[in-house]
Amino acid sequence: MLILVVDDEPQIRKLLQTGLTGYGHQVITAATGQEALTAVAQRQPDVVILDIALGSEPDGLVVCQRLREWSQVPIIMLSVRSGESTKVAALDAGADDYLTKPFGMEELRARIQAVLRRTAMEPASSPTAVIHSGALTIDLANRRVTVGEQEVHFTPLEYDILRLLATHPGQILTHQTILSQVWGSDYRDMTHYIRIYVNQIRQKLGENPSANLRYILTEPGVGYRFVEPDNKQ
Amino acid sequence: MNYLSRSRTALRPLPYLLAVLVVSMITFGLWWLREDLTLANFSLIYIVGTFVVAIWLGTGPSLLAAVLTFINFNFFLIKPYYTLSVEDPREVIDLLVYLLVAVIASQLAAYARQQAEAARLHAAEQNVLYSLSSAFNQLTDRANIVQVLQQRLPEYLPVQDVEVLPQKVERPSEDKPTESFLVLQAGQSIYGTLRVTFTAVPTDSQMRLLMACTVQASMALQRIQLAESAQRSQSLEEADRLKTALLRAVSHDLRTPLTIIKTSAENLTDLHDRLPEAEQLEMIRTINQEADHLNKLVGNLLDMSRLQAGAVTINRHWNALNEVAGDVAAHTWQRYQAERIRLDFAPDFPLVLFDYGLLLQAVSNVVENALRYEPPESVVVVRGETDATEVRLLIVNHGPTIPNNLKAQVMEPFFHGKDGRIGLGLAISKGIVELHHGRLWVEDTPGGGATFILALPWEEAPESTE
Repeated sequence: MLILVVDDEPQIRKLLQTGLTGYGHQVITAATGQEALTAVAQRQPDVVILDIALGSEPDGLVVCQRLREWSQVPIIMLSVRSGESTKVAALDAGADDYLTKPFGMEELRARIQAVLRRTAMEPASSPTAVIHSGALTIDLANRRVTVGEQEVHFTPLEYDILRLLATHPGQILTHQTILSQVWGSDYRDMTHYIRIYVNQIRQKLGENPSANLRYILTEPGVGYRFVEPDNKQ
Repeated sequence: MNYLSRSRTALRPLPYLLAVLVVSMITFGLWWLREDLTLANFSLIYIVGTFVVAIWLGTGPSLLAAVLTFINFNFFLIKPYYTLSVEDPREVIDLLVYLLVAVIASQLAAYARQQAEAARLHAAEQNVLYSLSSAFNQLTDRANIVQVLQQRLPEYLPVQDVEVLPQKVERPSEDKPTESFLVLQAGQSIYGTLRVTFTAVPTDSQMRLLMACTVQASMALQRIQLAESAQRSQSLEEADRLKTALLRAVSHDLRTPLTIIKTSAENLTDLHDRLPEAEQLEMIRTINQEADHLNKLVGNLLDMSRLQAGAVTINRHWNALNEVAGDVAAHTWQRYQAERIRLDFAPDFPLVLFDYGLLLQAVSNVVENALRYEPPESVVVVRGETDATEVRLLIVNHGPTIPNNLKAQVMEPFFHGKDGRIGLGLAISKGIVELHHGRLWVEDTPGGGATFILALPWEEAPESTE
């Protein structure tokens, strides 16, 4: 698999190259946004790892936007800031995921795998009519949700939120995305709706965070993501 | 409504017409009864009429009334009727004395009226100034002062446009009489120029009020400036204190992991061909561990200094503290691979306004601290409580009790715990909670241990609709 690493720091480029090559990937690097755009066009990598702050124009967010004009290549953005607005901006620019520096190689590798898995199944747009995750089963065709043997009843709105999240496993959905998909675009600022409904859904699903039994994960200040199917956390 | 809109100088016809009307009515009444009444009756009733006009309508109309009554008296009521000549020469004296008394009385009454009017104006001015200065007193921002001026001045004065120019501006040469330029100045400082456009040429009392308002605004601007500089020097002082503590910390707590990393790396470079593989692996693990530790420490130091410098921006949204607690519980499980936390929240625990990321950090730090001292046979309880004013998170630990004299200190930056490493976590938590106008304090757990209580001010969340 071919991975493009875009970072202005030579040390980081070198480290990521060594690390990812060690896991058996082929790695090419770019130091600037312009180089990155050219490299994607010429080499067509399978994944792009893109630093947000490139220290020169165009910066990471712009590169991401430009790539999205013509390419669907999975993009994972790197940032030193843990600021939520940056994360939302990255997702809005079309990034698939983000990682905050410093991070471990193990984590980066896991994110790459997850992003690739998602994009691999996307063309069919989740043809599976039944979603399994741990004890949870969602039968999309019949709108039936069961936890273990027990059927759980949801209001239409709760079900819509659960279905939206569950059909995008592992993918971060921003508050705005959830609001405009479930309620409509007039409700983009009403994030407290989501808080209330997600809380109710979690209770009905019988989540127990103390034992790490969770289906819906919170991305602080950004949104929610559903756990990867049959792969808690 | 304008308090002070009544013009003092303009000559308006209505009061004079009213004066003529009053005099005519009295004359008609007296003429009707002229055979039954005496001269003394006439003059007394006329005097009363003149008085009423003076008090009601002011100087000019009352003078007119005095002269008119004098003429009517003579013309209609003194024989021979309907001429200005007088039969009895003694009545000439009566008439002249009447005129004198009427004029003096009308002037006195009008003067009293003016005084009353002036007092009313003065009281209105005082009212305006009082309400303006109490409005100013609640403000902490220059822009708000301008806003209040723009909002309030049209209520008090007939003005159509109020603007504050950023610097001292002299009145421009093409002189518009409806425009006033007043410099906002207190002591040596100039805060700009107030430009006011009146709907008509302002009267003296209106100008006087405008100037008084300008003085109030200048004083408010000065107060804000002084408060700002006081706060700046306070945060400088605070930053200074932090710098000292930081230097102390850097010399010990940062150097230790750095030294470990450096020596391990050097050993690996120099001795890699002689050291057994297991030992090499051990050194690499140590480097990794110490780097994590260093990363956390640097992150904490940065957070602390940003908090202390007031450089943290918070994004307050309606969020759920039980969600935060759930995240912390899940992270704890991932770290210990065991259930070390018990959550205790009502199903309808309310939403509160806070920054999710910041509160997550604050609660994580407190929980991490509680877990460090929790005996292995029990678990930390995280419980939600509400009352009329606050939403609280109780983090209940069952380890050793914190002595009373240390209860406040444990949340100070760089408090050294029993493991000898600098403590910033609780100080950061406290900083974050206080940024949300909340409180963080510690009490004893009944039966032993420390209960940290994190309280956020409670406001009613907007209702959700389905």
